[in-house]
Order: sequence, then C-alpha cells, then structure tokens
Amino acid sequence: MRNVGIIGIGYTPVFVSKRKDVSIVEMISEAVDAGLKNTGLAPEDIDAYVFGNMATFEGVNMPHLWATEHMHARGKPIMRFATGGTIGMAAFHGAYYHVASGMADIAMAVTYEKHSEGDAQVGLMGIITPELMAMLSAGIDVTGQSGMGAIGGGSAGGISFQASSYLHRSGAGIEHIDAIAAMERRNAAKNPYAHLKDPEATAEKIAQTPMVSWPIRFGHICPTTDGATVCILASEEKAAKIADKVAWVLGVANCASDATTANLIDSQITDPAEQLPAIMASKKACERAGIEDPKKEIDYVEIYNGFAHQTLMYLEKVGMCEVGEAHKLLEAGELEMNGRCPVNASGGVVSTNSIGTSALNRVTECALQIMGQAGEHQVEKEVHKAMAHGWGGLMQYCTITILGDKPKKL
Amino acid sequence: MEKKVAIAGFRIAAAPDLETTRERLVFDLSKGLLDDLGITRDAVDNFVFCSNDFMDGRTISHVFIGPAAGGYMKDQTKVEMDGLNAMIYASMGIISGQYDVTMVVALSLTGSQASPYLYTDYSLDPTYDRQLKLLNELSAAALEARSYLTAGGYPEELLDVVAAQDLKNAAANPGQARRIDGVSRERIKGSPYYYEPLRELHCYPPTDGGCAMLLVSEKKAKELTDKPVWLLGMGRSTDIYYLGDRDLSTSLSAAQAAERAYAMAGIKDPASELDLAEIMSLFAHQEPLLAEAMGLLEKGKAAAAYEAGDTAVEGRMPINPSGGPLGAHPICATGLIRAAEAARQLRGEAGENQVKKAGVALAHGQDGVCAQQSAVVILGT
Amino acid sequence: MEEIKDTFLHPVVPLDFQNNYRVGAYLQRYLDGFKEKKILGAKCSQCGRVVVPPRKYCGACNLVMEEFTELPQEGTLENFTVGHVNLEKGQWKRADAPYVIGMVRLDGAANAMLARLNVSPADARAGMKVKAVWKDQVEGEHADLDCFEPA
Repeated sequence: MRNVGIIGIGYTPVFVSKRKDVSIVEMISEAVDAGLKNTGLAPEDIDAYVFGNMATFEGVNMPHLWATEHMHARGKPIMRFATGGTIGMAAFHGAYYHVASGMADIAMAVTYEKHSEGDAQVGLMGIITPELMAMLSAGIDVTGQSGMGAIGGGSAGGISFQASSYLHRSGAGIEHIDAIAAMERRNAAKNPYAHLKDPEATAEKIAQTPMVSWPIRFGHICPTTDGATVCILASEEKAAKIADKVAWVLGVANCASDATTANLIDSQITDPAEQLPAIMASKKACERAGIEDPKKEIDYVEIYNGFAHQTLMYLEKVGMCEVGEAHKLLEAGELEMNGRCPVNASGGVVSTNSIGTSALNRVTECALQIMGQAGEHQVEKEVHKAMAHGWGGLMQYCTITILGDKPKKL
Repeated sequence: MEKKVAIAGFRIAAAPDLETTRERLVFDLSKGLLDDLGITRDAVDNFVFCSNDFMDGRTISHVFIGPAAGGYMKDQTKVEMDGLNAMIYASMGIISGQYDVTMVVALSLTGSQASPYLYTDYSLDPTYDRQLKLLNELSAAALEARSYLTAGGYPEELLDVVAAQDLKNAAANPGQARRIDGVSRERIKGSPYYYEPLRELHCYPPTDGGCAMLLVSEKKAKELTDKPVWLLGMGRSTDIYYLGDRDLSTSLSAAQAAERAYAMAGIKDPASELDLAEIMSLFAHQEPLLAEAMGLLEKGKAAAAYEAGDTAVEGRMPINPSGGPLGAHPICATGLIRAAEAARQLRGEAGENQVKKAGVALAHGQDGVCAQQSAVVILGT
Repeated sequence: MEEIKDTFLHPVVPLDFQNNYRVGAYLQRYLDGFKEKKILGAKCSQCGRVVVPPRKYCGACNLVMEEFTELPQEGTLENFTVGHVNLEKGQWKRADAPYVIGMVRLDGAANAMLARLNVSPADARAGMKVKAVWKDQVEGEHADLDCFEPA
C-alpha cells in the first residue's frame, strides 16, 4: 500500500437549480478545467480518470463516453462507477485504488449531475418499480401500504420512516431537525459552491415550511442541483513535487446490508434508522486509518444528509457521539463552525445536491478544511483529521473516507 | 510483473433466455463458484459488481444483487461498464494490499428482458446523435466494417470467414448461447443484411448471461487453488466519442490498451509470445480489426491468416477459441467472460477447443460505439 | 407446494424520462446558423482544424475553441452503409426499402459528419462529391439539414 493524497479540487463556478447556458459535457468541462487550473497541472499529467454520476437521472447511459474530449481524456483510461447516492465517494475510492495500486500516479475523479435535464424522482422510482409490479401481479394491495407511492430510494416518503424511527430512538424532536437544517442553510451562505443559502435561517423559519411526510418538512429536504466536481489524487512522491497542501487519505471503506432490511415492502424487516452499514463502514475505515476513537481523534465531519435529520443520526452511527447525544451537541452549539464537533460547514447535501457530486463533495470539503482553504466556511478549530460519509441505494449502503494532514506511517 | 493477483476460479452462464431473475443468476454464479472452491462468503472481503441500470431497468440495480452474491456487510462497489474493467478494478484493490479475496460479478439479461441495442442508443449524445437518429450500434459497426475492409483491401467475404470460425468454436463450447451445428460460410452469407456489409450472423446475438470470478492475492492463491492463473499485465484506453473524428479502420483504444498491458507484462513481440487471445469482437470485422490493432496479426494480412488457419484453435495465433462474442454477448459480462475463457484455456480445461500449448493469453473488453474504450489483460500460468 | 406460475413481467425498459436536454452554447450557434441555411464549424486557434458540428474542445490541442467559421455546403462521401433495417426503441424492423447513410466530410472540415444520402444504394460510391439539401422551411432545428445528394 502506498500513500495517496488529495492535491486539488475543481468545482463548477456555481451549483444552482438550472444551468441553462451549458450542455452536460460543457458543464463537466468547467469542473475539470477548474481542477487543472487549481493544481497547475496539464491534461497530459493525468494518468487515469474515474467517472461517476447516476446515469438514469439524465437518461444518458455511460456519459463518460460522450464527455471524453471534454475531460481531455482521449488516450487515457477512464473507469466509470455507479452506486447511487454514494457514487461520488465510490468514484473517489476508485481513484484512490488507482493510485494506491501503482496503476496511476495522478488520477482525477470526475462527478456531475445535471438534474434540470432529467427527472430524479422518476429515476428514484426506478429502484422500486419492479418490486411494485411484482406485488401488483401477485395481487398484493399496494395502496394499503402507507407511503408506498413514494418509497423509492431516498425520496421523502421512505425517509420519513427513518426520521420518525430516529426521533423515537434518540429522544430528539422535530425541532432539532428544524434547527440542524437552519444551521446548514446558514453555513451554506458562506460557501460559494452551495445552492440553497440563507444567512438568516432559523429553526422557526424552517418550522413554517410545509409538512411533506411526518416528520419531514419541505425545509428538511435537499434541492435538486446542477453541478460538477473533480478531485485530483496523487502518490506521495508526485504530491511532494506538485502540491503545497495535501489532504492525505488515511482510510476508505464501504459496507452494504441486505436491500430487504432497508426497504419497506415486507412490512419493514428491520429499522431504517438502524444503519448497521454506517457503523460497520466507519469501523472499517477507522481501523484502516489507525484511529481508535473517532470522537477523540476526528476534528471535522461531513455527513451526506439528503434530509436534515441524517446529520444527527449519522453522527451517532459513525461514532462521533453516543446514541441520543447528537441533538444535545446541537443544542449546545457544538456542531457549529466554532463548536467542538463542527459538521457540514459546507452546508451539506441538504443545501446542495447534484447527486453525482454529493458524496465526493463531502470528501473535498473535508480536504479543504484540512488544507485550510475553506475560506469563509473554514471552521474555527484546527482540523488534523476529518471524516467524510456517504449513503445511498435503498438506505442500505454507506461509504466512509478518512483524511489527515499527515501521510500514514507505512 | 510480479505475480500478485490470481484468478482462483470462475463461473459463466449464457443463453438466449436463461429463464431466471438477476438475483437468482447472481446467486447461482457466485454461490456455485464458492462451492467449487470449497469456501463460504466469509472468505471474501470485497465485492465488485458490474451491471447497467439501463439494461436492468432499475436505478442503482446492484442494491439487489449484492445480497444475492453474498455481499452482506462486506465492502462492495459497482463498475458500470464492461466487466473486464471490474476485474481490473478488483485487481487494484488486491495489488494495493487492502484486500486478499475479491469476488467480481458481471451480468445482464439482454437476451430476454431488455434490448441490447438500447444500451448504445441511450449512450449517444442526446443533443445531436439521438436527434438525428442515424447512429446506432449496428449502423456504426457497419461503417467501421466498411472502413476496415477498404483500408485493408479485404473482400466482404472476410466477414463470413471470421464468423464461420467463431461460430464453429462456439458450437463446441457448452458455455455459449448461440450454438449452430455445422455452420457454413454459405449459411452466414445467406443470412439477411442489417446494414451492409453486416449480416445477421456477423453480429452478436442478444444474450442473457453473467460471469463470476474470484480474484485472490498470492498468499491466498496457494490456499485456494493448485491451478492459479496469474494476472501479468493490464491496460486501458479511451478514444474520442465523435465517430467522424476517428480512424475507423483501426482501434486507437485497443492499440493503446494493449501497449500498456504488454509493457506491464514485459511482452515485446505479442504475436509470438502470446499463445491465444480472447477478443471482445461484437461484430465479425472487429475480430481481425482489433487483433491487428493489438499487434496479434500483421496489418493487411488478416485475410490470409484466417484462410491459412493461423487463427483457428490449432493455429499459430488462436483467436477466440471460445467462439467469442458472436456466440454470446451478455452486456457488462462479455469482457469478463473473455478473461474467464482465457483462464479456462490456461488451466487446460477447454475441452474440444483446447489450445495445445497455452501459457500466456490476452483478454480484451470494450465499451462504446466502435470500441471507443478498450481494456486488455494479460494472463499466464 | 403450489406450482409456481410461469409469469413473466415485462420490463420497464426503457425508463421513461421527461428529459429536456440543453444543447449548450456551441450547438446553439450551429442550429442558429441553420436559420440562414449556413453550416458552422468551430476552429481551433492552434492547429486550425475546423470541426463540425462545433464543440468546445479541440481534443488534439486540448484547447477551448472560440472561433466559429462557416463551411462550404459541399463535401465528399468518405464511407457509407446501406441500411436494410431501422432501429426504433431498441427493436429492429426491416426497412421498406434499402437506404444510404454515410460519413460526409465537408470541404475544409477536419472531421466527417454522419448524414442521410439521397442516392440509390447502387449509385453510392465512397469518394463521390455531395452537397447539402435543406428543407424548404428552416426553423433552426437539426431536421433543417435534410440530407446530402450527389453534387
């Protein structure tokens, strides 16, 4: 195993609802060119590309083929991953193994989503449609199953079961979901690459947004965003030559449970708020990173929170606090940028969700905090080690990346 | 290259209609493979899946095949392109030292449940090619075939010769989906045109199928198999999307991918050092085209080589002794099956189609219109 | 145990999306040109190659192309195929009559474009000179450029 570090990041100039001025491939090229500019690299310096998005959302299969020239990737290897919400981190892990194995010295992970050109809800329903059809053909009354119409993947109907279960088990209330959503929208206001920004957001304001499916309100839900992100990784030897600041990859892991333990069809076999894969993935990543107690050793966390309650829930799952403690940290202001356990200073997924990029942005935002380059949303405490989290699929798949300011001792 | 990654075993399934579900197919392949090796899923520490959401008709489709493969609570990911890339990615995890045992599973049911042509249709530029409705997998392949035949000065009949050799080999391989007894050049030439010069029997058949492969570190290889097949080299490359910018008479991606794989494996003269090649040629002309690009056949001499029997099972440079993709093309699995078929040869288990002296083999996989992307691995005993 | 019924569910492929693709700045200029029956290409400032339809990058030079230039409406049929089938939603059907599509390189262009040819299969020849045929009414759409025919 050799050490691998993040040496550069590239974002599209904005993350907004509709990029009307560019095509899909033109938008991808903006992030790629930004990444090259930020690192001072030329396209020929990139040994390999790794690509990720959820192709069914825009209806373009294998979009890396169309985008080859726009990524300057003619004559280069490209590997495409697709794992749902976690795709950005799956692509990052892909780029990591390219470099860790010695198959590339410099690799670029490219991710995007241009939601305005597709229909994410149709895409998400695509997860569940075959199941629904099977149930209908077997004569099962699907209308009797509450929330069935909207249980696809991460859509609000299914997530509300998770949120209510989480509230029940943690002792938190809906007001805590309002408060964390408000905190993240305020954080987003300081991040030039965030979508929904509200410097004046308060829990009270969020509480006034319409209820979608109890306890999930409109203000707890992520937007659909157009945007692209790239992340450039290099071997230790190359990084030393190219970059002043490096965020080192200390450990990566992912974990998936059984789809049927997460979905709601067979009367919900297990609890969607149990999230065993998040617990396991974090354990594995910490072990690989040589971290014994994330509570003590991790300074900063980016949680993939398509829905606001997930910030609190996953903080507990990945081991950043005890079960039932997250909302107390929130009340005490410890999750804020100047707190002891700052989380999602970027505004999180709940403020910006171009799905392909979302899990990668968790990693790049951790890297920016470690490199001290997060600008206005740089947290107050010094960040030596940070953890990025992603979830996807049918709430049954989790990915974790741990970064540090020093390379791992091999 | 050092011997760091080995194929410990594999299972292949292919048929026009497997009469199964994706989950069942994945379970049968991966559980069968574990049983073959006398181990359980506990021994596997990483899973790499390969399927396509468009062909599965379902977003994030690996969600449902993970548990069927035995991936519960394990590291897993999905590569969404040809399966040979999934094998290469799995190998990276082992070479890096993170994993010891990785299961690769690739599949699609594009024979019975979804049209394979949609795979390409959906990958086309929606703002241009999909608007013009001229480009599709078959029309693009036909233009490539014409370009190749013209540049090499080959007669159209070369396609019949290549297809006849492949279909003969496929008929003798129980792992293939299209098995026609006693297929002749005349029968192939009598099959109807799709786009000239491509006829029905020059093209792959829509296929249900999949492949599971267990890749292991050197340490584990000793425990699990007495016939390890070693990964000696790998390489990949990508050409530009735009067909009108490419030289369709050859393949830049295959040439570059092979060059990288040869460099890693220390191969200087592929035509003499390789004992056989399994090439992902979806249309008859692609087999000699890709073989020439990868330096297996001399440019412009392919027709003579085929006529002389050089590329037959008993020839000097056997190409697709398995029958190749003209016998079965389950999208996503086809390239991985090439590697598995090459491994079968290297293990001396290819039955009627066994190549006599099989020590080093090449497997090729491709993606995109006219092999826009290629992946190559070199395997050896 | 009850015998399992041999039920086959028809798949939901293709997934039916409500897509609305943005053509982007480059293709928009190209389609705008159609309104005046002009064919525009993008020119690389370094190597001077002109590609049609225009796109953002010159792959060879890795440069953004910023100059648009009008191309002549005549060119060469470089390669062609005679279609005997049509593919619609992934299913092929026999065509009513064989038809010709091919790669046309406009004079002065660095790349070829795929086009329908208004020529009988027996008369099609690689290397023949062809010219663009426009629809009578042009709207700034892809369909405005109807086909090419022998010059």
